[in-house]
Parts: sequence; structure tokens; C-alpha cells
Amino acid sequence: MNRRRTPRRISHSQRRDAPAGGYCRQRSQEQWRGQDEAQVREVEDDERRQQQGKETVPQGACQTMCPARELRDREAQNRLHRFEIVAGMEKVRRPRGDPLRAVKEYSRPAAGKDSTNPNDLRPPAVLLKTVCYLIDDIAASPHLHPWTEVYSFVFDRLRGVKQDMIIQRVSGLHCVAILERTVRFLIYASYRLCGEPLRLYDPRINDTHLQENLSWLLDCYVTGTESYPNQEEFQALGLLYNLGSARASQHIMELPERLRSSPTVTLALSINRAFLERNPVRLLRLARRLNFMQSCALHRHLAACRRDLLLIYSHGYNSRNCRFPLDTLAQLLSLDTSPAAQLCQAYGLEVNQENQVVFSKAGFAEPTQGDLHCNLYHNIVAEKQRDLTIDNIIHGCA
Amino acid sequence: MAHITINQYLQQVYEAIDNHEGSFCAELLSFKHPHVANPRLQLASPEEKCQQLLEPPYDEMVAAHLRCTYAVANHDFVEAYKFQTLAVQSFLRAFQSHKEENWALPVMFAVTLDLRIFANNAEQQLQKKSKGQPGEMLEKAAEQLMSCFRVCASDNRAGIEDSKKWGMMFLSNQLFKIYFKINKLHLCKPLIRAIDSSNLKNDYSPAQKVTYKYYVGRKAMFDSDFKPAEEFLSYAFHHCHRSSQKNKRMILIYLLPVKMLLGHMPTHQLLRKYDLMQFADVTKAVSEGNLLLLNEALSKHETFFIRCGIFLILEKLKIITYRNLFKKVYLLLRTHQLPLDAFLVALRMMQLEDVDIDEVQCILANLIYMGHIKGYISHQHQKLVVSKQNPFPPLSAIS
Repeated sequence: MNRRRTPRRISHSQRRDAPAGGYCRQRSQEQWRGQDEAQVREVEDDERRQQQGKETVPQGACQTMCPARELRDREAQNRLHRFEIVAGMEKVRRPRGDPLRAVKEYSRPAAGKDSTNPNDLRPPAVLLKTVCYLIDDIAASPHLHPWTEVYSFVFDRLRGVKQDMIIQRVSGLHCVAILERTVRFLIYASYRLCGEPLRLYDPRINDTHLQENLSWLLDCYVTGTESYPNQEEFQALGLLYNLGSARASQHIMELPERLRSSPTVTLALSINRAFLERNPVRLLRLARRLNFMQSCALHRHLAACRRDLLLIYSHGYNSRNCRFPLDTLAQLLSLDTSPAAQLCQAYGLEVNQENQVVFSKAGFAEPTQGDLHCNLYHNIVAEKQRDLTIDNIIHGCA
Repeated sequence: MAHITINQYLQQVYEAIDNHEGSFCAELLSFKHPHVANPRLQLASPEEKCQQLLEPPYDEMVAAHLRCTYAVANHDFVEAYKFQTLAVQSFLRAFQSHKEENWALPVMFAVTLDLRIFANNAEQQLQKKSKGQPGEMLEKAAEQLMSCFRVCASDNRAGIEDSKKWGMMFLSNQLFKIYFKINKLHLCKPLIRAIDSSNLKNDYSPAQKVTYKYYVGRKAMFDSDFKPAEEFLSYAFHHCHRSSQKNKRMILIYLLPVKMLLGHMPTHQLLRKYDLMQFADVTKAVSEGNLLLLNEALSKHETFFIRCGIFLILEKLKIITYRNLFKKVYLLLRTHQLPLDAFLVALRMMQLEDVDIDEVQCILANLIYMGHIKGYISHQHQKLVVSKQNPFPPLSAIS
């Protein structure tokens, strides 16, 4: 390896055993001779890195949503999802897979498994098509029930899409378009499936994936050179979903002024500030100005926010002779009076015959786990959905 | 020294290693030392020479170091980073084979410090050409530092004198610098735990302890643990060497907001001494309860505060500013039953236009909950009833 070198500098990787491509580097050296040395080296480096990039990054060649081999295997092993089989064969013992409906599964990377075979990888355009299929024909389908099953299917297949993107190191517009839809889907699901039993929907797992996709997406915005029309929307969603997190707030603060002062981000920032100042009245008031998707992102903080309100009011109005009218409180909580009364009782606060709340420092108690059903208090989000369809929501045409 | 030949240089390295002269050896491998500017040492392929004079893996370490000086001379930090990584890796192999001895710690300090610096420079160079993910280089450097850290932390056999554990604090400080830079503060936690549970934690050098407390304090601050944050940062400030004005200033940037949150306002004198007048209006606004001035001061120095990462902490001062403003209302009205309208008027004076009586009640309830006001609100009478004794307890008495 340490053979004597020509006086001319040769880059580290360019050795006798360097792979093909050395020749064209040699030529470019000739062309550049006489020019500024540093510049030559820079060009060499660029070429070398590009070359390396091309050599090592796998490129997909699979033109269908599911690679032919996987479809065959899963057919043989009877591992097709009921959304993937040829229509009318649901009752058959060994149904055939429909190549137009089968989608590549997520499969855990394992030792000895080659996940880089081009025939098993879908190029970016096919990945985007797959994502659109999952949204339009599965997630938004009025015929597929229950939605928990729809969710688990789409969740898994989107994870497979992400894996294909990682292996091929996809970046740029395709990547952003896919990640944006994935993030919207996961945010929507976090609201829609809130309260489902743990075996059907696990908020922790959904959250982990959402955070991963979101932070990748935000990285894309930072490093990308194109302009991304939905950036404001997702910066705001990121902050609303991670309300109060120092990291998310700092990220927003570091955005260029132009983005930070856009109405969407400004509103998200005001809500975040109300949260940090522990001003739930202001927070819930501002929350009414959010659109449906933004409300979904904020949704997981609403319970804590209402709890804060009851907690500080229990201290602030802690006097034996004082009463607080329930309907005023309900308004502050953005709830109807009956769920508002229910919520008070869940926190150990008395609501008397005259529909007045008796706040008391000593009376306030955290409800036992499982006693509080978040979905009873969904009205603030639900009323925003109105006639929006799922595909419009996830594609972002809402 | 500056113009010795390659043979002389290698001879010196050989002797330093042979005699276990850690500090001298560290100098010979450090980019703080003038030998790196010696063109006779900046070689494109020093491997053979090094092999002739040094044992493996030292030959590889020194060859990588010389290759690195060559890259640095050409201002190619991506290349420099690559070779510095190689130097650290070969060093680590040698270091692991040093059973029950730690003379090479200064060498580790030198090579790992340079590794972090080159990762930083390399990253900047790549960014300029808009290549690579931000933080990628630094993350890779952190991995290398972590493998050094593991070797140090797991040295349980040697006695205290010869323990490699003495390297832990230096490495965690380097890692903190990276984690803060790439905004991955959660990665600090295992390091803090490792140092906390080590029996050497009080015996590291003052310089290392100051740096360590500075970062641990900042971490606590971002986790909103203000009491410990104040403790750590105060320690760093008081033990920082008096000649290191720049470092003391850096510590103050974080110590000031924490102190203010706990009710201690800095003097004008201190702010002037450390050239931190950006805080002057903030301080004034908070003590006067002047929300208007606070908002102005925050937006005027927004860029500075955001860059330091303290903007959001300073916004928390709003709660104390409310308290001080409301105390003034109380002092003016001289009664224990204060109409809520009076507070609304006060907030409107501060040009908070979109505030209404519901929000006033919420702000008051929060202040009562936090212990800033002793009293209760009567919704029926629309009044705040405050305690006859000490209705606004001093800030330092709270939390």
C-alpha cells in the first residue's frame, strides 16, 4: 500500500487497487493542470465523493408497490393481508394476492439478510405512488373497517416505505412529499384512535414513529435547496405536537425570521408561550383558531392543559364561601357543561345543585389512571373536522 | 523545535513513549504545539518512516498525525478530520494495552481535543459547499470520544493513582460541547450519571470541574430545574479563574436568567463589567413590573438571546413581572380586597390589548398557585382578596 508516489498529490483513495473511474479522474487532472492546486483538489474530491456515492448507495428497480418475490412468498405462506388479496377470494383457503393492492411489508433488518437487492427496492417515484395508494384507497376508503385495522396496515406499510427511503438515501422533493403525508397520517391517527385499547393502538409507538418522521422532515427542510411550500405548516405542527419541549421551541426560534413571523408559526408560538406561562385560559382560547390538522397535533396536550386550569383554579379560588359558575368554567375549558362537570368530578372537585363549582386546594386530586376518558372531551377538535375527508386531510388539501 | 527533521521528531516521540512522558508526548501530537507548522514534518506519506522508528500501533498514530498536519497546511479539514480519527483510533489501541497505568492520559486529551476541533472545521467546510448533513461530522467524532470514554470508565482494576478514570471528566466535557452544538442534550444524561457515581468526582482539576459544572448547569436549566442549575452555574462562576473573563461572561449568560427567575437581580455594575448590557433593560423591566419594557427588551436583543438559547427562559420572567406589576396595584390601592378590574387596567397600560377579565383571573390564579400571592379570588365579587400579612412574599422565599 505504501508504494512510492508521484510528486503530484494523489488523493488517498486513488491507489493501484482503486476501482474503475480512476482513469477519468486522471484525465480531469490533466485538464486542470496549471490551474490553482486547491481548486483541482476540490474537484477531485467532489468527483471522488460522487463516485463513492454511486458505488455504494443501492438504487431501487422494483416498479410495483410490492416486489414480485415478496408477493410470491407471502402468497405461499398465506401471509397476505385481507386488503391485499384478489377481490372475491376472501373465503378461499389460500387466496391469491392482487398485484395492484399488495404492498411491501416492513421487515426488520437482520444479520445475513440482503435488504439492498434492487428488485426488492422501490425507487422514490414508486414510493410516493405507494403512499398515495395507502391514503386514497386504504386510509380514506369508506368500505374498509374497522379503522384500527386500516391504521395498523397503513402504519406498517408506511414504515416499509420509510425503510426503502433510508436504504436508498432518498432526499429532496420526493422524500419531503412522502414524509409530509406520513406525518399527517400519524398525527391524524393519534387523535382519531385516542382511547382505543392498547392492543389496537399504542400511543407510545405511534409517537416514536411520528417523532422520527418529523425530525427527518425538519432536517430535509434545513438541508434541502429547493423551496418547500408546506414548510410553515409542518414547523407549526412540530411545535404544537411537542408543546413546551425546549428542543422544539429552540428549533423554531432558530428559524429564519421570514418563517417565524408567518401567521401559522406565530399562532403556534403564541400557544407555546401560553403553555410555558401556564395560562390555560389563553391557550384554549388560541386553540380555537387552529385548523383541524393543527388541532389534532395539539390534542394530546389538551388534557394536561385542562388539568392545569383546574389545578390553579383550585388554589386561586380556594375559599369556603366562594363558588364558581359551571357554565363560565365550561366556556374557559372549551367544553359543554355536562362534560365540564364530569371533568371537575374526575379531579375531585364538587359541583353543587346550583351548577356551581366549589374549588378547593385540598379537594383537588389526580384521577386514577383509566378514569379519565380523553375522547369525552374531543369536541374542540371534532368540530373542526366538519366535512373534511381523510384523503384531503392527509394530502394537505384541507 | 520548529525546524527539526522528521528523524529528530520521531526520535523524540520514541523517547517520550519509552519514558512514559505523557505530557511531552502529548505536545508532540497536539496541534497547539508549533511543530505542526514545520513544513519538514508535513508529509503526504510518512507511513514508511514511522514504521522504521516506532512500534505499532504508535507508528500508525504518528503517521496519521503527520498526514493530518499536511492536510491542515492545505486547509483541507475533511481530510484532517479523517486522519485525526485514525490517530485517535490507533492511540486507543495502544491505550487499552496499557494495563494499570495512565501516563498516556495527556496524549488522549490532546488527540481528542483536536478531533473535536477538526470535526467542527470539517463540518463548516462541508456546509459551505452545502454537502453532508449538519451535525454528521460532530456525531461521528462523538462516537470516537465515546469509545475513549468507555475505556476510561471501565478501568476498574487499577488503583486510584493509575486509573484511567481520571480521563472521564475531560471526555465528557468534550462530548458536552458536541451535544450542545448539535442540540442533542438528552445524550448528556448517561455521562452525568457516570461522573456522579464515580468516587473521583470532586478530585478532578478545577479547570475541568468548572467546564463540567457549566454544562451540567446549562442542562439543568433546559430541563427547568432552576435550583440545581443555579448551584452548578454559581460554582462554575466562582471557581472560574479570574483571568478568564471570557469564560466568566459565558457562564453569566446562563447564570443571570436563572438567578433572575429565582428573584436575584444583577447589578448594573456587574452587567457593565462583563459587557452584558443586553440584560440591563430586562432586569429593569422585571423589577419594575414593566411588561411593556420587558417585551421591548426581549425583541430588541432577540438575536443575541436566541443564539445563546435563553430566549425562552427569559420569557418565563414574565410571570415574575406580572407579580411585580400586581404588587404595585396592591400598593396603590392600599386595601386587601382588590377589584379585578384594577389588574385589567394595569395590563392594558402595558399595551396587552387582547387580555380580558378571564385571563386576568387565570394569571392571578397561577400566581397564587405558585405562591407569589397569598390570597384567593372571589368570582362573585370580582375581587382578589389578599392576606393581611405579607401578601407578596419575597421571590427568594419561594420554591
